[in-house]
Amino acid sequence: MIFLAIFSFAIKLILHYHITWRMYEIRFHGRGGQGGRMAAEAYALAAFLEGNYAVSFPFFGAERRGAPVRAFTRVDNKKIRIKTQVYEPDYVVVLDETLIETEDVLEGLKEDGMVIINTQRKPEEVKLSKPVKCATVDATSIALDILGRPITNTSILGAIAKATGKVSIESIEKAIIEKFGERLGKEAGEKNALAARTAYEKTLIGVSQGGKAFVPRKKWLPDVNEMPVGGATPAMKTDAGLVGIGSFIENKTGDWRTFIPSIDKEKCIGCRFCWFYCPEGCIEMVDNKANVNYDYCKGCGICANECPVNAIEMKREVRT
Amino acid sequence: MMRLEAKKMVATGDYTAAYGALLCDVDVVAAYPITPQTIIVEEFSNFVNNGITDAEFIMVESEHSAMSACIAAQASGARTFTATSSQGLALMHEMLFVASALRLPIVMPVVNRTLAAPIGIWCEHNDSMPQRDAGWIQMSCEDNQEVLDMIIMAYKIGERKDVLLPVMPCLDAFILSHTVEPVDAPSSDEVADFIGKYDPVATLDPNNPMAIGTFSPPEYIQELRYQTHVAMENAKKAIRETTKDFARKFGRDYYGLIEEYRCDDADVVLATVGTVTGTAREVVDELREKGKKVGLIKLRFYRPFPAEEIKKIAENVSAIGVYDRAISYGVGGPLFIETRNALYGLDLPVLNFLAGLGGRDVVKGDIEKMYEILLKAKKEKPEKEIYWIGTRGVSI
Repeated sequence: MIFLAIFSFAIKLILHYHITWRMYEIRFHGRGGQGGRMAAEAYALAAFLEGNYAVSFPFFGAERRGAPVRAFTRVDNKKIRIKTQVYEPDYVVVLDETLIETEDVLEGLKEDGMVIINTQRKPEEVKLSKPVKCATVDATSIALDILGRPITNTSILGAIAKATGKVSIESIEKAIIEKFGERLGKEAGEKNALAARTAYEKTLIGVSQGGKAFVPRKKWLPDVNEMPVGGATPAMKTDAGLVGIGSFIENKTGDWRTFIPSIDKEKCIGCRFCWFYCPEGCIEMVDNKANVNYDYCKGCGICANECPVNAIEMKREVRT
Repeated sequence: MMRLEAKKMVATGDYTAAYGALLCDVDVVAAYPITPQTIIVEEFSNFVNNGITDAEFIMVESEHSAMSACIAAQASGARTFTATSSQGLALMHEMLFVASALRLPIVMPVVNRTLAAPIGIWCEHNDSMPQRDAGWIQMSCEDNQEVLDMIIMAYKIGERKDVLLPVMPCLDAFILSHTVEPVDAPSSDEVADFIGKYDPVATLDPNNPMAIGTFSPPEYIQELRYQTHVAMENAKKAIRETTKDFARKFGRDYYGLIEEYRCDDADVVLATVGTVTGTAREVVDELREKGKKVGLIKLRFYRPFPAEEIKKIAENVSAIGVYDRAISYGVGGPLFIETRNALYGLDLPVLNFLAGLGGRDVVKGDIEKMYEILLKAKKEKPEKEIYWIGTRGVSI
């Protein structure tokens, strides 16, 4: 009798492990510099520490702070051979709330999939293209409280553990201490683990609103006959908008910004240091005072760093 | 530039190359000296200094810079010229890809010289042949007359709208570069009439700004690669037509991508490259006198490769040999690899003969040996494919 019980339990265990185990995929949406890639890697490490096989990789667009970045993680109980990007994720993780305004982060999400978003809002207050299982956490505030910096990648890991139940928070903490501790020191590693634990406890789970319409972004995709010879591209009007030199008129990049420079015109001495150092060339001098073109400012903070009279302050941007 | 009358001259291959650039009225020359190419740019700087041409001569600090300067000049609409050899070409490697991808028909003679180590200044093709995939049209000259004619044709072929690729005419170190022989030079008017004006597709112009060679995500590069691939395919047609036009105008025919020599009823043929071709013609004549049915293929172009032409000949012979002056270690000579690839599906022995590496003289006896092996291969299946002719301690 006992043998039979043990035997059937073992069979069940084997079945569970080998048959019911299905590879799952996570897509991370973040911005350059926010640590989305590190989050994806740390998650893979946490899954690995639990005896799984995990891979993680980033895909960069423009290699700039603030540019939208995607990272992917796959977890399975056996070696993962597929090398493509993830197109039909089981989970979508959004590190930067502004991204849900500009693109449909649910694209390709599996029917029973779930989205985990860094936001101050409750799941029911989040508006997406359709109602889906949704977890929210104010990772930015947690990061600012515990780390003193708005780097949300470790907090969001706690939220993923809570929302998915796929890895334990203990493994997440271990992975963070190993991965971040290595780079930033033991203390920083532990602080980041604490941020994850805090987020784990504060994560809310529910269902999002749907109905938000997204106009799919048109992309200029010339075929071999339309492609300019040698790729020499003049300013061109295409179905997908302006292309080539001067296309930045349409392609505004100010929404890459998390922090916004605020210039105290009283303090500004018109020295032009900020104007000179701005990598975007988006500071103009108006009446010999610095003035920022927020359509293109990516909030890098170089101007504030260079200002000799501390007339520029970087503030967290609140978007309505 | 000053008008130049047609003339007969006795000149080195290097001088001839410089004179070819002069006849083509190039606008910009940027170059760095390296033996045995130095004379080319030295002579051209003399033309500039003596007021024969108003071309801009840019002295640079390396071959990498020379090619960079030529790319920029050509992208601004100028017709450019440079020359190099061996280590200089290796240093230029990175920029070669830029020139072809931006579809800039720069012309650059390469004087084939051994690539170190050990350091050697003599002829070997292991400098130009590794540039195979750089998107340059690459060909080899048999004599100084061909050097001159090929530089003229290089501009004509490269600047065609269906081609727009840089061209690398190669000449063997010292055997051509420092050897004087009679050369028939046309007048500058005739050349101008033949090659026409360079009409760039895109130019760097502040009044009509354009993005050239900028950052490009994966969505775009594959289509550009395909375009360049098609351009190289088109180059075959352009070469065939240009050699015909050239023959009509100047009376010298180069027969497209290859020249057949006594192949008509041949049992076996040998494909040769560069100056060895001239010596091989002598050997073929002598063997023919002895009643041996041997033929010769002069492989003029390495890129694009004359696969169709070779296949046509191979269909009517019992064995084909390929002479190489470079080696792809562990496999064989680069021309052999290409030829065997072109002959895929045909059932005949394809043999490789390596000789003259490091600039060792390839003598008539060496070539006779190659034909001897080929004639034997016609009768019985050869034991191996690759033969190191005249290599001490290596039996053949």
